[in-house]
Amino acid sequence: MSLQALRIPTPGQVVVLSGNEAIARGAMEAGLGYAAAYPGSPSSEILASLAAVSRERGFYAEWSTNEKVAMEGAAAASYAGVRSITIMKADGLNVAMDFMTSLAYAGTRAGMVIVVSDDPGAHSSTKEEDTRYLVRAAHLPVLEAATVDEAKTMVPWAFELSEAIGLPVVLRNVTRIAHARGSVTLGPLTPPTREARFDPNARYLTLSLFHPVLHARIEEARARFETAPFNRYTGPADAARLVVACGPGWTYATEAVELLGAKGEVGVLKLGTTWPLPERLVASHLTHAREVLFLEEVEPFLETEVKSLWAQQTERGPVRFLGKASAHVAGPSGPSIGELTPEIAIKAIAALTGRELEVHGNGFAERAAKLALPDLPPRALAFCAGCPHRASYWAIKSALELDGRKGVVVGDIGCYTLGVMQTGYFTVKTVHAMGSAVGLASGFGKLGLLGFDQPVVAVVGDSTFYHAAIPALVNARYNDSPLLLVVLDNCTTAMTGHQPHPGTGRSAAGDPAPPLPIEAVARGLGLDVDIQDPLRTAEAVESVYRLLQTDGTKVLILRSPCALLPSTKRTHRAVVDPARCVGESCGCNRFCNRVFSCPALVWDGERGCARVDDVLCAGCGVCVDLCPRGAIRLEETAAIAG
Amino acid sequence: MKRGGPADLEARVLSADLCTGCGACLGHCPYLKTLGERVAFVHPCSLTEGRCFAVCPRTSLDPDELDRRVLGTPRLDVFLGSYRRLLWSRSLDADIHGRAQYGGTTTALTAFALESGTVSAAVLTGGGPTSFPQPVVARDRDAVLAAAGTKYSACPTLVPVAGLLRESDEAFAVVGRPCQVAALRNVQANPKNAHRFAAVIGVFCFWALAPSFYRFVAAHGVLTRATKIDIPKEGGVVFSNGRTTTVPLDEIRPHIRPACQTCLDPTAEWADVSVGSTEHDSAWNTLVVRTARGQALVDAAVAAGALETRPYPPDRIPILRAAVAGKKRRVMAAVDEGDPATRYLSVSDDTRAAIMAGGRDVQ
Repeated sequence: MSLQALRIPTPGQVVVLSGNEAIARGAMEAGLGYAAAYPGSPSSEILASLAAVSRERGFYAEWSTNEKVAMEGAAAASYAGVRSITIMKADGLNVAMDFMTSLAYAGTRAGMVIVVSDDPGAHSSTKEEDTRYLVRAAHLPVLEAATVDEAKTMVPWAFELSEAIGLPVVLRNVTRIAHARGSVTLGPLTPPTREARFDPNARYLTLSLFHPVLHARIEEARARFETAPFNRYTGPADAARLVVACGPGWTYATEAVELLGAKGEVGVLKLGTTWPLPERLVASHLTHAREVLFLEEVEPFLETEVKSLWAQQTERGPVRFLGKASAHVAGPSGPSIGELTPEIAIKAIAALTGRELEVHGNGFAERAAKLALPDLPPRALAFCAGCPHRASYWAIKSALELDGRKGVVVGDIGCYTLGVMQTGYFTVKTVHAMGSAVGLASGFGKLGLLGFDQPVVAVVGDSTFYHAAIPALVNARYNDSPLLLVVLDNCTTAMTGHQPHPGTGRSAAGDPAPPLPIEAVARGLGLDVDIQDPLRTAEAVESVYRLLQTDGTKVLILRSPCALLPSTKRTHRAVVDPARCVGESCGCNRFCNRVFSCPALVWDGERGCARVDDVLCAGCGVCVDLCPRGAIRLEETAAIAG
Repeated sequence: MKRGGPADLEARVLSADLCTGCGACLGHCPYLKTLGERVAFVHPCSLTEGRCFAVCPRTSLDPDELDRRVLGTPRLDVFLGSYRRLLWSRSLDADIHGRAQYGGTTTALTAFALESGTVSAAVLTGGGPTSFPQPVVARDRDAVLAAAGTKYSACPTLVPVAGLLRESDEAFAVVGRPCQVAALRNVQANPKNAHRFAAVIGVFCFWALAPSFYRFVAAHGVLTRATKIDIPKEGGVVFSNGRTTTVPLDEIRPHIRPACQTCLDPTAEWADVSVGSTEHDSAWNTLVVRTARGQALVDAAVAAGALETRPYPPDRIPILRAAVAGKKRRVMAAVDEGDPATRYLSVSDDTRAAIMAGGRDVQ
C-alpha cells in the first residue's frame, strides 16, 4: 500500500495510487470522520488504507462485523454531522440492503458515501453481480469512475452531493479500477469535524410518508447530474454513431476508437453518473445518433435506461441500440457474462463502423507462444501448503464415511469454499451466502419428520461465524435442529487478506480489542462446544464422529492459524525417509501427493518415492500422521538468527 | 493369497453389512479406517488388488482349505473342528480370577506366553464392557490383566497387527474371535508372516454385538456402570458391578451384528487353542487344544503352574457339540436358501452333508 502517498499534504502533487487507495485519499480530502467496512475483494484495501492512517489523521475506522452494521454505523456518523464512508463488495450490499432501502427514506445529514465494489468476471467472488440494480431499487444516486484519478475526484464530489440532496451517494467501483494503479493529482487533506452532535430536534424515520420526498431528492440528483464534471462527450458534434460508456468501458472505448481510426466518425459519451440518468444530456446526443453502442460492466443497465428514455422521446428518429441486451457486446462466454475487455470493445466498435482490426496482430500469437512456459501443467485451485482447511476437510470427510449415514456438508463463504473442489475432497455440497450454511443445516435438521435421516454438517469460517452465522445458530438452537456446526477457525479473515475480526483481539487500526471467542458465543447460547486442532487428524476425526452420533445442535471449533499469517512461524519441516517410502509398491497408491494433495508433497520420479518441497512445507505434520508407512517425519527447523 | 481389490471388498463385505469388524484389513493404507466398530473407506482406493481383500475372512472362506493349511489334517469333528485335546482348564492365579471371565484361561495363557518369553507382545482387546473396547498391544502381565474379561462387541482387535508385522520381527500372541483367527490365518498365507504368530488363542463366539448395543446401554443409565457382563446358563444378560442387573436376552438380540448371523465357526476352529465357557461350572473354561504349538503352550503353562486342566466331562461333550451344530445348521440352511450373505462360504458337499446329517448324538 502506498500509505506514504496517502499522507502527503501537498496539493497538486501527482502520485501513483491504486483505485482503492485513491478512494481512501478522496475521502480524506473530503474531511472523512468515520469509515466502516466488512472486507471483500476487490474492495478490502480501502478500509485497510484508511485504518492504517486513521489514528494520525484523527478519524475513526473500523472493520465491522458485517456490511449492514458497517452501513448503520456510517449513517449514525452522518446524523451526528460527521462525513462517513462505508465500503463493501457487491455481495455485502445484499446484506446491507434492508438498511439501505430504509436509509433512503429516512435520509442523511452530513455527507455519506457508500462504496460498492463489483467483481465483473468474479475473479474473487462466487457470483457476478451488478450492484446498480439494487441501488436503483433503493433510490440512491450511482456514480461510476472511469479512471483511478477520477475515483479520487469523485469522492469529495459525492460527499457534496450527499449533503445537497440529503441522501447517501453510491460509488459503484469495479475490479479494474479498484486494483489498477494510476497517477492521481492530490488535493488538500481536510481534517474531520470535531463537533459531532445529534440535533435533539432532528428525526430520521423510515416512513412511507417519505416516498415522495425520496423521489424529489432523486430528481434533484438528476438535475445536478446534467452538469456533473464526470459526464462528457468527445467526437463529432453530429456523430451518427455513438458509444455510451461508463467505468473502464470508457477507457476501452476511447482506445478502440483511436486504434480503429474512427475518431472522425464515432462520438463517445462518457457517463460518470449512471443513475438517475441525466436525461437531457443523453437525449441531446440521441438526437444525432442513429446507432448507439453501450460499453459497461456486467449487465445492460445503462443500455436499458437509455432505451427507456428513448421510448419517451416524442421527437425521435430510428435508432439502433447495440449492447449486451442485443448481444453485440459479448465476450467468449456471451453477453453479460464475464469482464469487459479492450478486445470486446474493439470488436464491437469495429463491427459498428464496418472496420477491421486484428486485435492480437503483429505476430502476437507467435510471441506469446514463445514467452509462455512450455508444458505448463493445468492446476486446480488448491489450499495452500499447511492450510488447516485441508486437514479439516479430511477429518470431516473421514468421520462422515465412518459414520456411514451419507451425511451432508453444507458450505459457506471463505477460503474453505474450496471444499467443493478436489482440494477439499469434494466434501461441500452447497454454497450460497455468508452464514447460509447454518440456516440450511437448521432446515435440513428439521426434516426428520419427513423421513430425512442423514446427519448434517455446516461448515463456516471464523469471520463468517460472526458475520451472519449467529442468527441462524440461534434459530437452530431455538428449534432444536440436530446439526453439527464446524467452525474452521484460522484466527483471521484469511481470504480477503488477513483482516482482524471480533475473535482476534485486534481492531482495524491495530489496537487491542476485547476478544470475543467463538466458544464463548456458542456456550452463551447454551450449546456444547468442542475445540480441536485440525492438524491432529485422529482427534479431529474422532470429535466429528462423536458429535455426529450426538443429538441436538452441536458446535465443533477446528482451530489452527492460517499458514500464511505472519505470526504462524514454521518450527518444523516434513521430511520423507526414502528408505521407508516404498513408492508405487505401497498400498497407499501415492496417497500423499495424489489424494491428500498438499502442494508441498511431490512425487520424485527419479527415486520413485514421495518428496517434500521444503520451500513450500509449513511443517504442519498432517502428512506424517496420514502416511501409512510412517515414512514422513518432522524435523525441527534450525532457528533463524534475528 | 486371495486376490481382489478394495472395490470388491466394499461391494461384497462392507456395503453388504457383512464385515465382522475383525480389523485385519486396517493399518495397511490411508483409505480404510474404523471408528465405533464400523470399517469404511474414507476415500475411494483405485487399486485393483489389495491386502485388505486378501486377509478379509468374509471375501471368501473355505473351511476345508483352512483345515488343510493350518491344521494339516482332515477335520476330526464336523462341529468342533480338529483338536488334540478337549479339556476344562483354569488359571491358578488369584489375580486373574478376580478379573477374568470364568476360569481365566485366556488371560493365564497370554500372560504365561509373555512371561515365558514365547512371545514379546500380545494383541488383545482392552476396555470396559459397556463402551467400545479398544485393541491393546500388551507387553507385560499387568497389561494382560488390564485387558482381561469378555467384551461382547466386535472390537477391531487386529488393527495393530499390520504395524507389528511391518515394524518389528518379534513373535507375538493374538487373542481373537473366530473371525479374527480366520483373518490371521489369511495374513499368514503370506510366507513372510508365517512364523510371526507364536500363539493364536481363539475365544468362542456365537455372535458379537453391533454398535447399537452401546446406545442401548447408554439409554439405560444403570447399565453404564457395569464392570462385567455375562450371559450365564441361567439365562439373561447380567450386568454387574457389586450388584447385578439382568436384562432379558431378547432385548439384546436385536443388537447382534448382522455379519455374525452367517458365521459358521463359533469355536475358532483354526486357532492354536480355543477357549470358551463350560456352560456348567463358572470356575472353569472349555479349552480346545488344536495345534502342536497350542499343545506346547498349554503343557508349558501347566508345568509352570500357571494353568490347571482336567479332562472334559464326557457327558458334557454332546451338549457342546449340540450348541455348535445348531449354529452351523442355521447357517447351512441360509446357504441352501441362497442367502447372499452366505456367498462367502465355500463349503464342500461332503462337509455340508456332514453338518446336516452328522453327529447323531447331537440331534
